Amino acid sequence: MKKFILRRLFLGMIVLLGVVIITFFLTRVIPSDPAAKWVGPRAKPEQIAKARIELGLDKPLYVQFFKYLTDLVQGDLGHSLRTRRPIMLDLKENLPATIELVLISTIAAVFIGIPLGVISAKRKDQWLDHISRLFSVGVVSLPTFWVALIMQLVFFRILGILPMGGQLSTEIKLTMEIPKITGFIIFDSLITGNFRIFFDALWHLIMPGISIALYPIGLVARMTRSALLEILSNDYITAARSYGLKERTVLWSYALKNSVGTTSTVVALSIGYALVNTFLTESIFSWPGIGSYIATAVIGLDYPAIMGVTIFSAIAYVILNLIADIVIALDPRVRT
Amino acid sequence: MKWFSEFIKTLQPRIREIRMSFYLLNRNRLQRVSLVIICILVLIAIFAPLISPFPSHAISATNPGDKLLPPSSKYIFGTDELGRDMFSRVIFGTRISLVTAIIAVGLALLIGVPLGAIAGGVGGVVDEIIMRITDVFLSFPPLLLAIAIAAFLGPNLENAILAIIVSWWPWYTRIIRGQAVSIRERQFVRAARAIGTPMPRIIFGHILPNTLAPVIVQASMDFGSVILTIAALSFLGIGAQPPTPEWGLLISTSRTYFMNAWWYSTFPGIAIFITVLVFNLIGDGIREVLDPRTRKF
Amino acid sequence: MGVFFEIKNLSVGFRTFESERRVLDIESLSINRGETFGLVGESGAGKTVLALTILGLLPKPAGVIHSGEIWFDGEDLLKKSEKEMTDQYRGKRITMIFQDPMSTLNPVFTVGQQIENVIKKQQSLKGSQCTRRAAELLDTVKLPDVASMLKKYPHELSGGQRQRIIIAMALACGAEFLIADEPTRNLDVTIQAGILKLIGDLQKELKISVLFIANNVGLVNVVCKNAGILYQGKVVEAGSSGSVIRKPKHPYTQMLISAIPRDKSEKLKFASIMIKPEAINGCPYYSRCPIAVSDCIEQIPMLQPVDGDQRVACFVAAGGSR
Repeated sequence: MKKFILRRLFLGMIVLLGVVIITFFLTRVIPSDPAAKWVGPRAKPEQIAKARIELGLDKPLYVQFFKYLTDLVQGDLGHSLRTRRPIMLDLKENLPATIELVLISTIAAVFIGIPLGVISAKRKDQWLDHISRLFSVGVVSLPTFWVALIMQLVFFRILGILPMGGQLSTEIKLTMEIPKITGFIIFDSLITGNFRIFFDALWHLIMPGISIALYPIGLVARMTRSALLEILSNDYITAARSYGLKERTVLWSYALKNSVGTTSTVVALSIGYALVNTFLTESIFSWPGIGSYIATAVIGLDYPAIMGVTIFSAIAYVILNLIADIVIALDPRVRT
Repeated sequence: MKWFSEFIKTLQPRIREIRMSFYLLNRNRLQRVSLVIICILVLIAIFAPLISPFPSHAISATNPGDKLLPPSSKYIFGTDELGRDMFSRVIFGTRISLVTAIIAVGLALLIGVPLGAIAGGVGGVVDEIIMRITDVFLSFPPLLLAIAIAAFLGPNLENAILAIIVSWWPWYTRIIRGQAVSIRERQFVRAARAIGTPMPRIIFGHILPNTLAPVIVQASMDFGSVILTIAALSFLGIGAQPPTPEWGLLISTSRTYFMNAWWYSTFPGIAIFITVLVFNLIGDGIREVLDPRTRKF
Repeated sequence: MGVFFEIKNLSVGFRTFESERRVLDIESLSINRGETFGLVGESGAGKTVLALTILGLLPKPAGVIHSGEIWFDGEDLLKKSEKEMTDQYRGKRITMIFQDPMSTLNPVFTVGQQIENVIKKQQSLKGSQCTRRAAELLDTVKLPDVASMLKKYPHELSGGQRQRIIIAMALACGAEFLIADEPTRNLDVTIQAGILKLIGDLQKELKISVLFIANNVGLVNVVCKNAGILYQGKVVEAGSSGSVIRKPKHPYTQMLISAIPRDKSEKLKFASIMIKPEAINGCPYYSRCPIAVSDCIEQIPMLQPVDGDQRVACFVAAGGSR
């Protein structure tokens, strides 16, 4: 197994290098004038010329790439055109808010999506299956950003029971001191006993959380269902039943354990979708995360920021998939 | 090119199978309805200028006198901030969504499938190289690569389609390659090699036809996903540009107004939902038909 | 020692996409307590379907039970609910040994875990008691190196070892009725003998009744007291295994027996497969039967007693000895 993990890590490195190469091509090679992109659409010719030298665009390609790589490794993703700060810093500030959303959606995907898929498979073609399948297929057909807007319209504008956006109410932000331990408001307020802040934050989390969680829940439910259908058709399930094992054990232990491989792949995929969903919905809710950061960057043609978020997300995703693959390797069959 | 005609020849006996598959597909009521709706959508797309009450509104005309009117008998879906009829715009949006989906999925297939067949059929170093490249592309979260490419190539619809094609083809390569590898080891392929059949003919005449089933399922599902992606890219601003009546762009523009003009966001969104839904349902149906394990009997 | 297991008029079909196929049509089959009954049939004759039907594990919606009764110790199993079957019969009183040990062992659990799960359910033991009992069982099926064997995964074992594990699992249930569905089918001939002996020994020791399903008539002679021959879902002959094998009355049984070459000098008498059109309302064996008469086309023969405890479903065979 160690050998497998090492091999997988090695492969991961190669993939990471490939990702860096692709992003390099995107930023330096493909655009007609990379320097102009770097300094933005409102730059003056002198600024562009200066940037050209800074980026080393006059030097041969491999020198450029090397500089790009070393910058990356040092955490230098460049400076945002809009905030004029190092992108890395911007990212660090915006990350916790996004992580909150991604975390919620992943938890929902696992604890709602998987059981939904399992029950759906067990009661195939009965009414429960049909409802669950309709729900899943419906939910993955919805554009996330539209769901967010409609929710805002209905629950804020029409019904007035949920806030329009932001992580906390303005009132609280202005009058109370917000604990800053981990950067996660929900967590910090909970452990410092600040329940008013905690519930306010929770209340603000509802709409963004639901909009982002829907697609992953549907995705996980669908894939779990088909994985489980395949598993349940196997002989060892019939055998287990013939020994008189309770159906509950057969389903949730014997069958489910065989799906660990597919499940971890699907969960990794749903985290990816959740992350991308944040790009689409955060700005709608004025949620101070990476999503609104990149959405603003895209509109303002803040190329360094766009690339910064892309590289960061890609690397995070590669690492995530690496973990998923290692989990799959825990399947005893893969050991041989 | 000879290999291509070989491939087409292998399709002849499968016509009967394809017809039986259609029959099976139609047995489920939900699938029948979806198929009908897809046909309706195609018709809407084709006859858009004839169906829309105000076809010019969909393109460039403006009508400032009727700004932001709620739905009425004249303007079925209401009007936007430039007084344009939302109903006509949404109808024309069908064209854009369907055409981009066909182009994107089609070209991605055209690139991804042969690459996968070659990788799986030939094996060895070629396989390794192709798969590593595929892995790199697949290691980006879905949509992210499309966003990056579209942003850098310049924000317009064509570049968005290109971005989608570039981020989508690896999925097909991976599926085909996996299938090809297992088929490569089967008896009939070994027999063909043993009698000296040239490699390209083996790949395109023997291996490829047997690998298509999962990819067909995937591609039919992907129609829906691509439509969602185009909408998302346009929503972010790096896809279709105004005044193109692309659904995602319509929703994006609606943000400024929708609190007081609910119809602006609602109808384009419903259009996206229904279109993607029926493609997903058909994709499900195709999968049930092609995958013997999930069949009822 | 009375009749403790009896099948009456069981009719089971399988629904395919286009139509339904009648898979089992068993008039009667009975097994006494403590005895081994061998059921012989070719592939596709419906043997595994019978085993699954008894346990109530027919795949739905494909499998359909049209009619019949399966009497087990005074109760009709076909009238039992799913819950009753799980709680009272499966494992506890009736258990099964499957054909393909690789596909019937769960690949993601160790064999030790799987046996212990069965023990936990059926014998209400806990913790280390389970492990000890599991070890005992592995010993009973004569598997060496018990301690390390318990920690192995199914794919790490050989075919013969896996089959012994399956037998151990069946024993772990403590059932009084064992259905062995072609337990040696996927094993080498040399290993077969060992498994057969094991089953025979265990049966005598634990005094369980066994329904031994096979496609090889020779096996049945070794292990079973009574035997039945299954052809296309119908029992065409039944009796003590000695009689059925040495004095086969039904033409199909005769063909089965004669197909076993005894020694080099004996000329192989292969009954020629005379292809006649099928008799839709008549005897299922009609199309291959060398001794068919006109009656055979119109009616389905029922099991009639001939010669002691032997019964045969054939107009010619039964009529001839009356």
